[in-house]
Amino acid sequence: MPALSALLACPLAGMLVVLLVPRTNVRLIRTAALLATGLALLVSLEVLNGFDPSGGMQFVERAAWIPQLNIQYALGVDGISLPLVLLTGLLGFLACIASWSITERHKEYFALYLLLELGMLGTFVALDLFLFYIFWEVVLVPMYFLIGIWGGGRREYSAFKFFVYTLTGSLFMLLAILALYLRTGTFDLLVLAEQGRELSRPLQQWLFLAFFLAFAVKVPVFPFHTWLPDAHVDAPTPISVLLAGVLLKMGGYGFLRISYPLLPAGVEWFGLAMAVLGMINVVYGALVAMAQTDFKRLVAYSSVSHMGFVLLGFSSLTLEGLHGAMFQMVAHGLITGGMFLLVGVLYDRAHTRDLGAFGGLGARVPVFAGFLIFFGLASLGLPGLAGFVGEFFALVGTFGVWAWPTTVSVLGVVIAAAYILTALQQVLLGPLNARWHTLTDMTGRELVSLAPLLALVLLLGLYPLALMNLQEPTLQQIITHVTGR
Amino acid sequence: MRLVLFESLWAWWPEVLLSAGALVVILAGAVTRRPAWPLGLAWAALVGAAATLTQAPLLPPSGVFYNLIICDAFSFTFRWFALGTTALVLLLAAESRDVAAAWRGEYYGLVLFVAVGLMLMAEANHLLMAYLAMELVSLSSYALVGLVEGPRAAEASLKYLLFGALASAIMLFGMSLLFALTGEMGFYEIRRTVVGLGGPLAQLLVTAVVLMVVGLGFKVSLVPFHQWTPDAYEGAPVPVTALLSVGPKAAGLALFLRVLEALQPAWAALAPVLLLLTIVTMTLGNAVALVQQNVKRLFAYSTIGQVGYLLIGLVVGTTVGREALLLYLVAYLLMNLGAFACIVAVVNATGSEALDAFRGLAQRAPGLALCTALFLLSLAGLPPLLGFLGKFLLFGAALEAGQTGLALAAILNSAVALYYYVNLIRLMYLQPASEARPVTAGRAVWLAVTVCAVGTLVLGLFPQTLLDLVRAGSALTLL
Repeated sequence: MPALSALLACPLAGMLVVLLVPRTNVRLIRTAALLATGLALLVSLEVLNGFDPSGGMQFVERAAWIPQLNIQYALGVDGISLPLVLLTGLLGFLACIASWSITERHKEYFALYLLLELGMLGTFVALDLFLFYIFWEVVLVPMYFLIGIWGGGRREYSAFKFFVYTLTGSLFMLLAILALYLRTGTFDLLVLAEQGRELSRPLQQWLFLAFFLAFAVKVPVFPFHTWLPDAHVDAPTPISVLLAGVLLKMGGYGFLRISYPLLPAGVEWFGLAMAVLGMINVVYGALVAMAQTDFKRLVAYSSVSHMGFVLLGFSSLTLEGLHGAMFQMVAHGLITGGMFLLVGVLYDRAHTRDLGAFGGLGARVPVFAGFLIFFGLASLGLPGLAGFVGEFFALVGTFGVWAWPTTVSVLGVVIAAAYILTALQQVLLGPLNARWHTLTDMTGRELVSLAPLLALVLLLGLYPLALMNLQEPTLQQIITHVTGR
Repeated sequence: MRLVLFESLWAWWPEVLLSAGALVVILAGAVTRRPAWPLGLAWAALVGAAATLTQAPLLPPSGVFYNLIICDAFSFTFRWFALGTTALVLLLAAESRDVAAAWRGEYYGLVLFVAVGLMLMAEANHLLMAYLAMELVSLSSYALVGLVEGPRAAEASLKYLLFGALASAIMLFGMSLLFALTGEMGFYEIRRTVVGLGGPLAQLLVTAVVLMVVGLGFKVSLVPFHQWTPDAYEGAPVPVTALLSVGPKAAGLALFLRVLEALQPAWAALAPVLLLLTIVTMTLGNAVALVQQNVKRLFAYSTIGQVGYLLIGLVVGTTVGREALLLYLVAYLLMNLGAFACIVAVVNATGSEALDAFRGLAQRAPGLALCTALFLLSLAGLPPLLGFLGKFLLFGAALEAGQTGLALAAILNSAVALYYYVNLIRLMYLQPASEARPVTAGRAVWLAVTVCAVGTLVLGLFPQTLLDLVRAGSALTLL
């Protein structure tokens, strides 16, 4: 079987197996899910192994699907999709390990979980716009149930809000897809990339706006972000990891895969707006994060802030800027994934996330404290760790193009340092709150799910070229395609 | 003359069998008290009709019944459609408990009469034939709605009858105007004559068409002729509600398309009005559905909303639109009847039609809840289900015809509709059940649910054959 079809087959087969296993056999269900996500990770590594950064679109598969409408089953990866495929494979596997904490309705949980992974992977490898849309929407339904059934707090409300926001956004994308198809007669993204630029300027701008609505809800861009804190906070830990780690990237990926190649006139027209929105995301997200007393909500708002750098990088249309944006997407996936896991570890034991309720945990649970400090520092952009590289390149690349939005955005880095350090201090330092005398440190399973993230954050921080080499040719190609430079 | 009748019959055995079957079924119901008899006979008539329909010539050599009836690819599609609807409704009717055993003969017989009427509506080629067909459907439906004992059904039936009679009268007036203008009653002849009309006569033509639209609009629940819908749906037995929500809508749209084709010269004046009514229909249907607490009323308004989407295929006035309409009708048939099958099971088990009866259904009947969720998601237009493909094509048809506003309105409506479809899923999956007793469904309901679920999913993933069929079914000219 071709590699990418095999990649998609892993979660699909896993889901079918889980559905066939009797619901009482929890062990087997977990094993099947773990095997499926593990295999998907292995296949994605195999794809990385055979990938040639300068080779353009690779591992391409094509088969006619609905010939009457010229719809294909077309898959492929290049420098912008592969890093995200790897990220999805890794987080999908690690969050599956973390899903051991799920205590009820295992069968439904893991079936939905695997369906979610299928949708995420499919979104990143689809080369046909129709197929892309289907995978994009496939993500919604399992996510709705995963938050709504296994979540906490106001889970119903949050799941519902997530669903309605995202689907409403994507309906506009659907219109844009239809309009593109009617003009060109194809859904093939590679063909569309050649033909899109010939569309009239106003049409490109309208289409850009329609796609923007769909992607902006996902990223999320201010003012479409209000679903995010609710969904992230109320989702169970593994699902928060995937929400922050992968789902937000689907929006960013959409910009790079669809908006930029297909609608260059729209992109240039929207440049300043994108930079300003990025700036608002960075600063506003950071300020709101600063005001949070719930640890998980703080991490959620920090996501809004961090994704702002991605928008900022996009708006620059320079190689550095795009590097920064892509790098930030991957780094944010790893770091925030780690942060959500750590908050989950804490919540599983303490059953509260109120920052004011902790204090002095550093001495009581040193391993946990070490991890939390590491990921916290990575999150605030400490040089030497992955978060710094993304933010730095995004700022450097954009400064020459949009000077004042970039300058204001630097504030976000400062505020990030403030709210992260405050949070660390509230949780780890000070006198030990008497309530937590019996708190236990991290278990082996929790260590296993966090250690790979830590290693990668360190690796990418020390040797960013590992990722940049992978994506540079594709990014250069996008810039040339859009600007002619 | 003999020859014409004989050849006509060849093309028309399904209708003959169904009509005769309906009479026999009603008789059998009167003779025996056991509901199994009329049901068996109804199935026999239905299977016979299907068998003869496969043998019916697609294009009979001479005009069927002196061109009163037209047998083309278009009507052929809708005859299958009517048979499919009836078969699924019979499955539900066998299982539902809201009609007393004593009335079963009339119940199944009337359902068959509706089927004949639906087929006739799609193949009418003459004003009188169209009127007869619509009255056959209407009169049978009035009786069907009133079959449940109690004041609610009686009220619903009476309301339906009064509205229906008024709409029929108005339509008849339009038809008589048309006859006065053209001196013809056959669609083809009318088309030939109206082309030459000009001046004040052309205005009179528009008046006649508008009056006819009232009658057709009543059948398909076009706003503002929709007021009967929620009350009739609420009062009727659940399977009848299912039948009304699909059958007459499809047949009404078929007749609508044909009438519009015959009156093409009036299209320019009519199109803006229909466009506006389409948008109003979907908006009102979806908006009012948001606040419903009774599941049948919810589906009544959801139907109005769905009819709004379907009308897109009509108002764009293109072949692409017609194809999209046909495909969405197939999707709508499967997902709506599937949803109603689940409603039958829930109403049977809980005796309640309130939305609250669906609370915690996922624990009480996991399989049923899963299928219901599938149908609801398809109704909401989520890929890769068939409802999505239908909407995709309909919205595409709107954009292709340059109706961006219409497409936008439809998109916004889909977003609104999400709320109440997902709300039902929320009740089933995220809310605790009020009691633990499992909800079970009989074999017939399961068969209907399975057919609909498999159709919705598999046809959504692999629609190639269906697309070919739909393309063949939307004949280039309807006259």
